[in-house]
Amino acid sequence: MPEKFMQEDKRMTAREAVERFVSDGDSLVIANCLYGTPYALIHEIIRQGRKNLTVFQQGGIDEIDQLILGKCVSSLIMAYNFRVAGERIETVLERALRRGEVEVEDYSNYTLLAMLQAGAMGYPFLPVMSGIRETDVYRKETICAGQKFGEVECPFTGEKVVVVKGRNPDVAVLHVQRADKAGNAQLWGALINSKWACLASSRVIVSCEQIVDRDTIMRSPHLTIVPSFRVCAVVEEPWGAHPSELLGFYDYDMIFRSLLFMQTMSEEGGKAWMDEWVYGVADRREYLQHYADRFGLKYLQELRAKPYPSIPADYGASGRRAWDENEVSFNFQLTRDEFLRALEEKGGFVNG
Amino acid sequence: MAEVRYTEAEIIVANAAREIEDGDIVVIGQGIPMAAGVLAKATHAPNCVILTEAGLVGIEPFRNPLHIADPTCTRGYTYSCDMIDVFSTIVNRGLVDVTFLGVGQIDRYGNMNSTVFGDYHDFRMRMMGAGGAPEFFGYARKAVLTMRGGKFVEKVDYVSSPGYLDGYDAREKAGFPPGSGPKVVYATKGVFRFHEESKEIYLAGVFPGHTVEEIKAEVPWDLMVADELAELPPPTREEVELIREFAPEIAAGRRLQLELSIPRILNILASRTS
Repeated sequence: MPEKFMQEDKRMTAREAVERFVSDGDSLVIANCLYGTPYALIHEIIRQGRKNLTVFQQGGIDEIDQLILGKCVSSLIMAYNFRVAGERIETVLERALRRGEVEVEDYSNYTLLAMLQAGAMGYPFLPVMSGIRETDVYRKETICAGQKFGEVECPFTGEKVVVVKGRNPDVAVLHVQRADKAGNAQLWGALINSKWACLASSRVIVSCEQIVDRDTIMRSPHLTIVPSFRVCAVVEEPWGAHPSELLGFYDYDMIFRSLLFMQTMSEEGGKAWMDEWVYGVADRREYLQHYADRFGLKYLQELRAKPYPSIPADYGASGRRAWDENEVSFNFQLTRDEFLRALEEKGGFVNG
Repeated sequence: MAEVRYTEAEIIVANAAREIEDGDIVVIGQGIPMAAGVLAKATHAPNCVILTEAGLVGIEPFRNPLHIADPTCTRGYTYSCDMIDVFSTIVNRGLVDVTFLGVGQIDRYGNMNSTVFGDYHDFRMRMMGAGGAPEFFGYARKAVLTMRGGKFVEKVDYVSSPGYLDGYDAREKAGFPPGSGPKVVYATKGVFRFHEESKEIYLAGVFPGHTVEEIKAEVPWDLMVADELAELPPPTREEVELIREFAPEIAAGRRLQLELSIPRILNILASRTS
């Protein structure tokens, strides 16, 4: 059974959150992919030198390379990794694979996410589209050997159905637009894997652009992607997804990403990038300060989103209570006295 | 009227766009496919529904997205769901009419590899996983392929996406929806289709400026060639303008894009730090 996290106030720094809730050897899932990447939390995991992590990644963009440069990862279970250049350029991940520093198991987007969905729902396995049988995603097994795919017979048709195993990572990291201090986390825009990655995990660390009050959450509950009782830590971290993007807040930083890409083409460049942007700063605030010192704050400001607000849904109800101002019941249309009298007369009371 | 000048990518985008019919539900990734989808929607298929596996459905991007979840390019869309919903309630229910994929390696029966080039462990190039390819390619009514820099190979190094397997009725026997599968490959020199019965790929048309011999030299088996090669229309002026407006970097192609942008980005970085 997943643990419940019932404290009213789970606000803490990224440092505290990672210290308390991420351990060496954990399985970690990055609960946003491509979009809203939780870089502030990932950088903190790297700074604290976590080791031997098994990382579930739906679709990496450049954070997996950084976790590898930080020597945090031993195994990767993933469906996709963004690759910018052709064969002549070796990626960080390729270098690590050639040296045997990390192992990888390949999945498709759906089969990987179905494992997390099964885990989130508490099922031992879930069926997936059986056509996967005809691919090497099915046939080729490495670290998940014997546990990657299975087959069951449909009890209704007798047909053979391919299934994946339910997975429950130890910890998920998620970045969202806003959350309350208890951890009700609201995300909008591309939802991809976020919900299932969080709900599958034992612990969820949320970072957000803004901490908002409970009333804001209650006025837009459809935006809550993970409920507070599953969240163990809430970190307010403006620009916490930079250089990736977050709808309503900022665009991705293409120029900065190009710098990262160009530096990580070489071993030394990758190390220099990490020394400057991860190890060289204590936290996200210093990271932003360093960005401002090095490039000027205006380049961050240029990435700011222009408003395109959602039309709010009206969550109003009539507000009529069970007993109105004249003490008349909403359901029975009786006064309080008439109601009590009826309970007496009809034998509604059982305790004499 | 002056002749329309177009790039290698533009003729692919314009022709691939014509594969989309009005009202189609179309799953698209980034790059050439997205440009084709947006072009189709802007021209002959205004009622097609474009979606990405990130759960953005009914998108009308104003710039070519960097990736399938790119929010600034998909500001506003009509149905927000997640990836589980896309694959289970849309793909698995057979609602996808057209899917597009870029080709890394492809064999004579349209099986494709987008995961690893070379030996699995001693690889030349390692992408990771298979993304959405197996399910989109497996279950969409029609898969349209675009190929720039991809290769025909006798045997793919890794089967990421199932084409017609060993040909003939192997695909249907394996349980894929009847009639599904790869239908056409738009490459830089010509267009390829699949033989109705054997499902073997054949050359169906040659783009202006290229020859059958040139194309056959790039295929490691004796490529079948249609008796009558199709005449493929070059992009119209309107199409070229739309493509360059929406996705100039796609129009240019990746090599030229890198050649043009890297020195500029280096200059920008230098000027920002000075």
